[in-house]
Amino acid sequence: MPAQSQIHARPRRVPLLAGRLSRPAGAHLRYRWYVPYLFLLPGLSLYLLWMVYPLGYEFYISFFDWKIMPGQTSQYIGLENYRRVLDDKYFWLSLENTVRYTVVTVIGQMVIGLALAVLVHRVFIAKRLFRAIYYLPVVTSWVVVSFLFQFIFSSHPGGLANYVLTQLGLLSAPVAWMSETKTAWVIIYTLGIWKGIGWSMVIFLAALQGIPVELYEAAAIDGAGEWGQFRRVTLPLIRRTTLFVLVALIIGGFQVFISVYLITGGGPLHRTEVVLSYMYDRAFDRLWFGYGAAISYILAAIVVFISFVQMRFFRQTDEE
Amino acid sequence: MSILPRTQRGFQITILIILIAGAVIAVTPMVYMVSTAFKPAAYVPEFPPRFIPSNPTLENFRTAFASRNFDRAFFNSAKVAVATSFVVTALASMMAYAFARFEFPGKTLIFYSVLAMMMVPTMMLIIPQFILARRLGLQNSHTGLVMVYAAGGMAFNMFLLRGFFEELPRELEESALIDGANQFVIFTRIMLPLARPALSTVAVFSFLGAWDEYIWALTILTDPAKRTLPIAIQNFRGAHATDWGLVFAASLTAVVPTVLLFIFFQRYFVQGISTGALKG
Amino acid sequence: MKHKMLVVVLALALILPAAAVQAQGDGVTLQFWHTYNETSPENEMLVTTLIPMFEEAHPGIKVESVPFPYGEFRQTLLTSLAGGEGPDLARLDIIWSPEFAALGVLEPLDEIMPDFEELAAAVFPGPLSTNVYDGHTYGLPLDTNTRVFMWNKTLYERAGLEGPPATIDELKAQCEPIKALGDDIYLFSDGGTYGWAVLPWIWSFGGDITDPEITRASGYLNSEATVAAYEFLAEMVNSGCFSPSFLGGGMDTGQGYFNDIFASMLDGPWMFPIAEAQYPDFEIQAALMPAGPGGSISVVGGENIAVFKGSRDTEAALEFLRFTQSDEYQLKMSEVGQLTVKPALLEDEYFQNHPYYGVFLEQLQTARARTPHPTWTQMEEILSDAGQLILRGEASAQEALDAAAEEIDSLLAEGL
Repeated sequence: MPAQSQIHARPRRVPLLAGRLSRPAGAHLRYRWYVPYLFLLPGLSLYLLWMVYPLGYEFYISFFDWKIMPGQTSQYIGLENYRRVLDDKYFWLSLENTVRYTVVTVIGQMVIGLALAVLVHRVFIAKRLFRAIYYLPVVTSWVVVSFLFQFIFSSHPGGLANYVLTQLGLLSAPVAWMSETKTAWVIIYTLGIWKGIGWSMVIFLAALQGIPVELYEAAAIDGAGEWGQFRRVTLPLIRRTTLFVLVALIIGGFQVFISVYLITGGGPLHRTEVVLSYMYDRAFDRLWFGYGAAISYILAAIVVFISFVQMRFFRQTDEE
Repeated sequence: MSILPRTQRGFQITILIILIAGAVIAVTPMVYMVSTAFKPAAYVPEFPPRFIPSNPTLENFRTAFASRNFDRAFFNSAKVAVATSFVVTALASMMAYAFARFEFPGKTLIFYSVLAMMMVPTMMLIIPQFILARRLGLQNSHTGLVMVYAAGGMAFNMFLLRGFFEELPRELEESALIDGANQFVIFTRIMLPLARPALSTVAVFSFLGAWDEYIWALTILTDPAKRTLPIAIQNFRGAHATDWGLVFAASLTAVVPTVLLFIFFQRYFVQGISTGALKG
Repeated sequence: MKHKMLVVVLALALILPAAAVQAQGDGVTLQFWHTYNETSPENEMLVTTLIPMFEEAHPGIKVESVPFPYGEFRQTLLTSLAGGEGPDLARLDIIWSPEFAALGVLEPLDEIMPDFEELAAAVFPGPLSTNVYDGHTYGLPLDTNTRVFMWNKTLYERAGLEGPPATIDELKAQCEPIKALGDDIYLFSDGGTYGWAVLPWIWSFGGDITDPEITRASGYLNSEATVAAYEFLAEMVNSGCFSPSFLGGGMDTGQGYFNDIFASMLDGPWMFPIAEAQYPDFEIQAALMPAGPGGSISVVGGENIAVFKGSRDTEAALEFLRFTQSDEYQLKMSEVGQLTVKPALLEDEYFQNHPYYGVFLEQLQTARARTPHPTWTQMEEILSDAGQLILRGEASAQEALDAAAEEIDSLLAEGL
């Protein structure tokens, strides 16, 4: 399969963000000075208009008691929005929930994704079929699967989750999943993991397929069993992939929104609120745009900080 | 299998059993959705749950398409997704080509600035983007959707395509240059056809992203005639007593094209997300 | 160079906003946003009977009906207005009128309508008053309703119960027989602890949210009577008499009622047309809200119709608003569960012999409205959260309500 050989070749050859820009094209390619800019212009203007400008503008908004209705005037209030956000118990709760969601779902997706990748890698038949099936939830819309999980975790005894779990004897009576904070989280965590496994599985699988068979043979000669080979050969060789998956999933975890917004709406008592659902609620339900902007900035700062720390870590492990 | 040693055979069977069990868990929710879509009006789940409807019916699909501009929403989503896919592929490939093949002042700065923005969660910009859309009169406009989707996907796709362009041999362009072709001709006649696999990956992912996008569409579209599929589905859910059969008939209509796309372009999906491993 | 042109055209097409100018012929198309329930016949009545009737009488004016699910309506409307893309007219829950009036997006009808006095005189003063903010009237009532006690005949018979309880004490006594029918069957259910759900209990226990002038909640929300109401609800939920749907996210109350899971509920007149459409064999039984120390007091619901500033054609919008106040509109809507706001119509034979409106009209005699205040949405969130703490046993009723009263006090002191 040509597609696969390309995949595992790439992550190794092309360095991560640290990658250098391409070698200068040299004198062979002659062009007028403005030609590169013409190539950049359409895409870059769109990007500046909708990404860069809003980033700056949001910073500005966050210093105002921003009024959105026509005819009202906004008032400069300095750091007041930030002070109020940092004083807001619901903000801290939503942040804590976001972190917890990230930890739970990242571990779930990585462990199960890796385990499945190892199995799919070793199985002799229907490799591609399994890969496709596990990937199916990834391509399904978040809105659809959110409603689907809401239905599956219905409080009714005929709800699929209630029925299966009571039949298996794991539950003694049907549960009103959405009424309690803990059980509401079960729905959201399960959905997050179920939907994400396929993605990490495909990436791990590509990495596994890049490991030369000889290494396993050598380890086997040294007397390593299955588990020993996994620990001594597989894990070290997919470390870069593992780190990549980790970073990408953490960034993704912090952006959890649709499932919470549609399944619990943050309730009960804001206890399943996550940062983005809280931000959206304050901005578009209360019309506290300055407040929402401040929440956004704090979240972005956290995510960027985590990304930087992880990139440092990447580089360090590369240098070792 | 018969050539395998006995222990290997046992091992394979164990793996298969685990994988099949996993696959069952992965698809059960989807199957449940499909079967509910074909059941008559379902305000509460059936007890006991059934995967094969006892009286299969197309009624839910009929009702869904007869109400609330659902057919319109389907068309709108298709339009927005195709447009986004086209715009992203065109603009990102141009940018990628510039970074891959040209030297110009500010190159490094621009490149890394674009990349750095990839770390910013897209949704955090929804407040200023909303205000901007309002200023530009882009509320209730599909142009507003396409622009934001395209801008949001620009950096990643540009990065993906740049990697692809860099790997293409330079000799092709050099000979074309000698023949007197200009850069635009080289780009459109030589580079783009060569980059078809990478462009397909970008096109498919952009299409899917736009097809499924929810919150930006929810925020700027209020005109029912403009709504996209995710919003239309939500409206079926929204009423107090939900007819789940209807919700899932609508959902299925939205999901089937993405699944077909996935089956036909499986190769590009795998390629796209694995190349995504560069994203970091 | 063709390609260069293409690129420029493409870029322009992208960066220039699409001129979304609606082609308009001679007439005007008004947008009427509302939450008429699409799974019940009221929306059909509007779209297939009433709007055509209006359009026929007013050539040149077209009315586009734009339905929204109730739960998303307020926020969608806010967002659209913020973007300057609001409707011409909207049907607003009576409790939202002060908030939208305070945002300055509604037309003051008493200033711009010469015939306002006449229209205002024709409707019930109670519902009319929900449109008043800061001395002006920003809308007219469209329909009114209240919640009455609906009981499930099948379950009551199976439990050997005679009929509906007249008092809250009698209701409590019905718990045992109903519980005996099964663990997953409940005497009563509601969907949460928001105002619409808890206020009938608070008022019937003799409690309240704020003083009549709406200046403070302390002494009202945490009064002995209000505390008793919440303690009662907590006791009922914890003993399994009332369904856990009170904690939110449970089974839809109406569906549980129709499916013989909930033996009773409080609900409005629209349930009759819904039952007819979805459960034709089901017979809704309605009675007054069980009385407590404060009497049998339910909550007034209903909707207003308001005209928005920046309407495409204010005169045409006002014309449609007048149409909604006509006897025809009011009677037609009453056929599908939307009770009229015109007292004169109630003399009509239609209402005198109506199969189910009688009990609602009787309940309306004593029913009260939720606090008409621009900050109601925020007050309600505080109220609802306090209710959750109490029902979940995480705070005593007194503690939770003391804290909530204090929060509402400071909210009222701050203003919007």
